[in-house]
Amino acid sequence: MEKIDRIQVEAELRKFVGGPAFIHSEATSYVFVRNFKVEITDAFIAGDGNGPFRVAIRFDGHGWLRMESLTDYEIDGEGRLLLAGFDDRGRMDVALHLGKEPFSE
Amino acid sequence: MNNDNQSAARKLLAVFAHPDDETFICGGTLAKYAAEGVDITLVSATRGEMGRRMGNPPYLNRETIAAAREQELREACDCLGVRELIFLDIRDKTVEFIDEESLTARIEILIHEIDPDIVLTFHEQLGGHPDHCAIGKATKAAFSRAGRREGLYYISFGGMMEVPERYGYTREDIVKVNVSGHLEAKLAAFRAHRCQSEIDEWVWLPDAEAMTRFGEYEYLIKSEEAAPIVNASDLFQAEDSHAVLVAGVNL
Repeated sequence: MEKIDRIQVEAELRKFVGGPAFIHSEATSYVFVRNFKVEITDAFIAGDGNGPFRVAIRFDGHGWLRMESLTDYEIDGEGRLLLAGFDDRGRMDVALHLGKEPFSE
Repeated sequence: MNNDNQSAARKLLAVFAHPDDETFICGGTLAKYAAEGVDITLVSATRGEMGRRMGNPPYLNRETIAAAREQELREACDCLGVRELIFLDIRDKTVEFIDEESLTARIEILIHEIDPDIVLTFHEQLGGHPDHCAIGKATKAAFSRAGRREGLYYISFGGMMEVPERYGYTREDIVKVNVSGHLEAKLAAFRAHRCQSEIDEWVWLPDAEAMTRFGEYEYLIKSEEAAPIVNASDLFQAEDSHAVLVAGVNL
């Protein structure tokens, strides 16, 4: 993964707007959801400079998903957008993945 | 070793939850028995794919970690001398939510197939993590259902069983395995689990210094159903005295 480039990630998020997407989202020590299928209507990224960044997704006409503390991103070989937040010792705090196909169970 | 022929028949099955349980908790014990020729099979319920540690600095993400941890576990098994590795393909952090009946049945089949002398698993209350307690509970049930009474032990963390009374046990319930001759293998296995151990600076100190962090002993709790412990330093009770006798004759 690389440090989040806000402009790059914004462009990648936009690719998921207006269609169905599968989502993996976690606050690592507390909760995860895997393979929520939603219709994304809007996607946002916010945060200054080197971050950390906040990402929010509007879905299904009435839903919100918002995450903070995101630091790193990657477009993997399957075109999925992987966002994660790591602490200064490499431990994951949060993750948000968007894909057009289900993630492995 | 002069008792290789006898030892070759001895088998140990370890049923744990995550890659690294076998190394971080009882790596010395596995390395010791592997070195004595015991045929060891390790079952890992999950691939540890929901772990928080991703390397330091991180080199994994949630989608790549499963394959990486599988590979790291294979390397750790090589370090310890574990011959066979089986995954149950359960998602990390969900073991306690898997159908208990089918999980127990899967483990019972493995016990029948492998026919181990010794089974190691987690204590269903003292496991320390929901996945650990769940796999321990299922393994205990499977062991019983397989018609077995002798040879089931629960692994324990560090020196907690130096004072077993604190946990409702007595010294008579504990096997204390001297692993001091197998700390190099344990350290190598720690390092094989790189994404998990990289954050612990001591693991990467020079070998002699790093190994000072390991205890000389690992402690295992005898299951309630088994006969009293005869030899408090060896998991193989009756089998071991037999092996020693035969080895003596061979000399």
